[in-house]
Amino acid sequence: MKLSIYIKRFVIIMVCCCMVSCESFVEVDAPDHKIVSEAVFDDDAMAISVMTGIYNQLFRAFFSSGGSDSVTALAGLSADNLRCIRTTDPTRLEFEQNEILPNNPRNLNVWTSAYNIIYMTNSLLEGLTNSGKITEEIRNQLEGEAKFVRAFTYFYLVNLYGGVPLVLTTDYRVNALAVRDTEEEVYQQIIEDLEDAMDKLEENYINGERTQVNTFVVMALLARVNLYQQNWEEAERLSTQVISQAGTYEILEDPDQVFLANSHEAIWQLSPVGRGSASTNTNEGSIFIINPRITALSHLKLSDDIVGTFQSPDKRLSHWVGFHEGLAVHYAYKYKIRNSTADITEYSMVLRLAEQYLIRAEARAMQGKLKEAIADLDVIRNRANLDLISDINPGIDQEALLEKIMEERRKEFFTEWGHRWLDLKRTGTASEVLGTGHPLWQDTDIRYPIPEEERIKNPNLGQNNGY
Amino acid sequence: MKHATLAGFSCWCPITIALILLSLPVSLKASLPFQSFTQHQITGTVTDGNGKPLGGVNIIISGKRQGTISDFDGTYTIMASPLDTLVYSFVGFKTLEERVGGRLTIDVVMEEDVTALGEVTVNAGYYTVKEKERTGNISRVTSEEIELQPVVSPIQALQGRMAGVEILPGGSQPGMASTIRIRGQNSLRAEGNFPLYIIDGVPLNSTPMESNSLLGSTGIDPLNNLNLSNIESIEVLKDADATAIYGSRGANGVILITTKRGQQQKTEIEARIYAGMATVPNRLDLLNTEQYLQIRKKAFENDGVVPDASNAYDLVLWDQNRYTDWQDFFFGGTSYITDVNLAASGGNETTSFRIGGSYHKQGTVYPGDYDYSKLTAGLHLNHTSESKKLGIDLSVNYGMDTNNLVGNVNVSSNVFMLPPNAPAVFNEDGSLHWVAWNEAGADNPLAGFYNTSKTQAGNLVSNLGISYQLLSGLSLKTNVGYSYFHSQELMKMPKRSYNPSNWGNIDHRSLHLQSDRKSWIIEPQLVYSTKIAEGKLDALLGGTFQKSKNSSLGVQGVGYVAESLIGNLDAAESMVNGTSQNTAYAYSALFARLGYNWKQKYFINLTGRRDGSSRFGPGKRFSNFGAVGGAWIFSEEPFIQNNIPFLSFGKLRGSYGTTGNDQIGDYGYLDAYEATPGPGGLYPTGLSNPDYSWEINKKLEAAIELGFLADRINLGLSWYRNRSSNQLVGYPLPGLTGFPTVQANLPATVENTGWEVEVSSLNIRSEDFRWQTFFNISFPENKLVSYPDIEQSSYANTYRVGHPLNISLLYRYEGVDPETGFYSIADINEDGRLDYEDRVVIWDRGRKFFGGISNNISYKNFSLQFLWEFVKQEGKISSLMEAGPYGNSRMEVMQALQEGSKFQRISQSSQATTAYSNVLNTVFLVEDASFLRLKTLSLGYSIPAEVLQTTGIKGCKLFLNGQNLITLTNYSGMDPERPGPGTSFAGLRTITCGVQLNF
Repeated sequence: MKLSIYIKRFVIIMVCCCMVSCESFVEVDAPDHKIVSEAVFDDDAMAISVMTGIYNQLFRAFFSSGGSDSVTALAGLSADNLRCIRTTDPTRLEFEQNEILPNNPRNLNVWTSAYNIIYMTNSLLEGLTNSGKITEEIRNQLEGEAKFVRAFTYFYLVNLYGGVPLVLTTDYRVNALAVRDTEEEVYQQIIEDLEDAMDKLEENYINGERTQVNTFVVMALLARVNLYQQNWEEAERLSTQVISQAGTYEILEDPDQVFLANSHEAIWQLSPVGRGSASTNTNEGSIFIINPRITALSHLKLSDDIVGTFQSPDKRLSHWVGFHEGLAVHYAYKYKIRNSTADITEYSMVLRLAEQYLIRAEARAMQGKLKEAIADLDVIRNRANLDLISDINPGIDQEALLEKIMEERRKEFFTEWGHRWLDLKRTGTASEVLGTGHPLWQDTDIRYPIPEEERIKNPNLGQNNGY
Repeated sequence: MKHATLAGFSCWCPITIALILLSLPVSLKASLPFQSFTQHQITGTVTDGNGKPLGGVNIIISGKRQGTISDFDGTYTIMASPLDTLVYSFVGFKTLEERVGGRLTIDVVMEEDVTALGEVTVNAGYYTVKEKERTGNISRVTSEEIELQPVVSPIQALQGRMAGVEILPGGSQPGMASTIRIRGQNSLRAEGNFPLYIIDGVPLNSTPMESNSLLGSTGIDPLNNLNLSNIESIEVLKDADATAIYGSRGANGVILITTKRGQQQKTEIEARIYAGMATVPNRLDLLNTEQYLQIRKKAFENDGVVPDASNAYDLVLWDQNRYTDWQDFFFGGTSYITDVNLAASGGNETTSFRIGGSYHKQGTVYPGDYDYSKLTAGLHLNHTSESKKLGIDLSVNYGMDTNNLVGNVNVSSNVFMLPPNAPAVFNEDGSLHWVAWNEAGADNPLAGFYNTSKTQAGNLVSNLGISYQLLSGLSLKTNVGYSYFHSQELMKMPKRSYNPSNWGNIDHRSLHLQSDRKSWIIEPQLVYSTKIAEGKLDALLGGTFQKSKNSSLGVQGVGYVAESLIGNLDAAESMVNGTSQNTAYAYSALFARLGYNWKQKYFINLTGRRDGSSRFGPGKRFSNFGAVGGAWIFSEEPFIQNNIPFLSFGKLRGSYGTTGNDQIGDYGYLDAYEATPGPGGLYPTGLSNPDYSWEINKKLEAAIELGFLADRINLGLSWYRNRSSNQLVGYPLPGLTGFPTVQANLPATVENTGWEVEVSSLNIRSEDFRWQTFFNISFPENKLVSYPDIEQSSYANTYRVGHPLNISLLYRYEGVDPETGFYSIADINEDGRLDYEDRVVIWDRGRKFFGGISNNISYKNFSLQFLWEFVKQEGKISSLMEAGPYGNSRMEVMQALQEGSKFQRISQSSQATTAYSNVLNTVFLVEDASFLRLKTLSLGYSIPAEVLQTTGIKGCKLFLNGQNLITLTNYSGMDPERPGPGTSFAGLRTITCGVQLNF
């Protein structure tokens, strides 16, 4: 029968179709909201948005957000600048008391958010390496920016935890069992990344905003790294280069202008636009300024100790320190806006010119160039409306001068990126300063514990001493 | 990736073309040669045992292809020769044969088949089987049981009616998605447990639709837009034999919904209208003003604190004699329900049709003018060619609904906490009252009340089925289906919803959300049946090609200058938080079935499917699934028939096979970037694992079915064991890798076992009186059999190996500490704090057993149908049990005034509130939440035909329907159906009455 031939053919066709070409039938295009990695690095504009994504996410990542689990808040508590208003939250209190438990969730947040940012930079760097379609100019620019952010993140990891695993790829199969590298190795990688970045970046702020990394941003961080590494000459050289950009950077007379968006004192800032919601304030503004309606939502105050170090004509006391009558507490008032949906007026400050003056002052003092060091220090004292050292104590000796510089660093950079905690650590004065009258203090407290959860998941990760 | 689409097209294209080519030339051919003999016109009437005319009876001439259908009045006409035999068949009646002989008028009386078991055919998806002969486990509910129920989604109408099918209502707002579990939870992921929905052969995405409104907590049920009155039957496929043919989508069971089709008879119109009202059946026993103030004062006294205007505004500022029953105020309202349904159907031997439409509207019990309404239209066309070779079946159903709800204030959960002497929340003019609340430094608890949400959804489900008989026993079928679901939601948030003191900071706002789901499916199939030896073979070979596209678009409009402009995005100052998602899903499969029955005694059924799904990475997209089922009707064996005469039917059946679960979201395998929340940025949101694959579900079932006393009593007992392994979970990784987890298949296994019993009995059957009882009960057991390294996974604090998935990990309660007077909790590891390591008590929240018992009673023209649903379970009260702090509590806390009560000392110190929040995580407030509920009751009266004779109306039925009329329970929360915190509720007490007319 003729029909049966049709049928046989039909069945054969059908079976073959299903077996062979269904493989491609079930392939679907990527959705609009997801862009396949390869496609991302197909053109310049897309690759640039990956870097924009990193800047955006830096504002949201715990460690860099300036919010309650940021280096700014937690290292501020660990040092002698910040205190908890109430004792109800043990996870915050552990930082204040330098008794951080390895399972402290805030400590875990710092760690994981930092490595999440590192993943993004690695992913961008790998994407650039694997793609041949990005123009040379953009490739250099993006590589420089990504390497800077990676170095910047490792800088805080190494300062908070000591030697940490150097994760430089995105392969989770390898990274999951990474071991800790030494502090030296981490610093070496930081310097390598920064020097590479410096070569590749432009000198100007490409989009006109001080949120994008350029050569001077890298230089500013590298100056700090050299200071921490006690390479005084190099620190002096680099900070001098930044300071010499007088057209771009200046010490602003009015302290209230310093933390404004794109202020002339800013070298690098993070924009609240990265938050991606209608709120336009900085996280620092929201955690430090006491909530006027529900004070129970505010948790942090300035320690009596730091408030006590300011002397009366100091403009930083009158401009950067607030007082709440109801709670009778002092709070950081560098950022003036607690909560807003209006246009953005303040950016979160990461690097600013004042630090470069104090880096140079210290580097010069260390090299015995006391006069120049005093001049640098006086730039900061002058803005603060304090008597100049050159006027009141021009013959100050090296040790006293260094002490003055440290004191000025504390008063200048309180509630900014844990400067005080890092300074106490690098100068070896933590036990002396914090241990006094602190029965629970141990020398090992200067390093945070490696989060317990990380050590359970990665048995190769050793713990710091004392935990 | 264009080539992929083309290749996909080239894949199904030849099949369709082949189909068209094959069907065209032959469909016009004539049927078998006509047998020549003297033909007479024979007429007659078919009636049932009570003398009522039977319409729609199939009358065919034995051995020939001729036939006809009786009209609604039972009359028929057919051409036949004296040597012919007429065969009368009708569902529910015994088939009757009449030799024509010399007669020209043949009136027959058809005898009702007692249970109709033998005749009922069950929809098994790609094929149908006789209820008696099925090898798999399929439960069925028919239109009579659901069409009158005043519920929005048909899923809600299934509660208590099917063994092994657990339905938890979503909540008290109309349209919320219920949770449905067929034989328990198989996947560790909550979003991986939806059954497969198939409406007239078209699969419908069973994941609830997203919403910003109050429906958002459960999502919107995608079946809302169906017309309940248009559903012919709902079949639930449970075991491997029934579900393996659905391959990777059958793991959680399959729900088949079949819509009504036209009858081959004169045109008939059915009109039905009902109306009624619903109220919240229960209230909690809360403190009155006097009691509340007494407790509050005691708290201040115990804490040694002096109440003042800032810490005790309820005691100092507010009226001490005011009393409001907030429960009555907020959900004491009545929701009115109206439902109109109109359908016309008719046809002749070759073509039949049914068209229908319906309107359903119901209000809410909450204050404000909010309601739900639904409009549906449906069409079902059938055509069979003269030769009976070509069959065409078209069904198109469309439904649209509008859900107007109060905005994001969850009225029901807040109101219980309001102090009984709290000031008014509304002013005389209906605006929110702020003055008294502001004086107390508080916000009106109903801030946000004037936010409104309007959710409109439409759902089109259409299917065209064409079948052609190629040869005797061999036919070719193709189903082409298309479904389109779209929803649009607008939420308006005017300033006046909020405290005027905040107006400086907020704007008029609007939230917009739009979602679409489009899907087409083509399923060509070859069906073959033949006799081999003394048995019958049924074979089926088919393919599936499906593509779906989902998209959603959301945006927020802010800064409208006036309230009246809210929602008009042109008038918004800016648009923020835009989200846009487009996903595609492609699926293809080859499936086959081979069924053989030997002497209608031994049955074997093999089903299999090869599936491919775009949800998995390249190389992992295809997999095979299959099952074997067998049955033995031992009552056909002579030795049984001779020795156990009272056993009228006996069957043993069993099945084993595998199904899969591909509910893992689209594109999970892609290494991709997404947009950052901040503008202009892209970022990786997770680690990608291209190697992950299906979850595999292995199902084993054994069952026995017995019929006694000429099938007047039927008993079905089944046992099952389903094991889901290869669980797709977030595999834990150290944060070093950038992310805490990566999706991967783990050899974790979840096991569901259980017993199901279904009993039906025809208790009384006489001419006037008939009483049937149906009973079902299920004993489910769920267990996480294995999970390597669960301690390090994100499920460490959710699941425990060796225990059910539905558990809570609780602290150990140590009683009230005699020293402090507060609840004390065991610090198991003595580390000075309470965390998950101290949660050593494992409490099973699951149902121990559940089921339903329903009765259908008819006496003359009266009918009564009622269903009791029962569940054995425990529930936890986790709210309103605190004595001391601001906010109302349950009456029981008055005991705290006495020494030595089970409650802690009345206090609002932080120590007391911490102790209270801890005790909520112990078994302290766990209680029996079992219940027995009169789920539905309907009473009907058909006006006798004699009365109607002169009116031209063929039938008129009056009916009364009640839902949730009685609940027997010891549970002290609002509703044992939702034994959550004790304040949520779902089942409204509804009473409706109406009339149905047939013309």
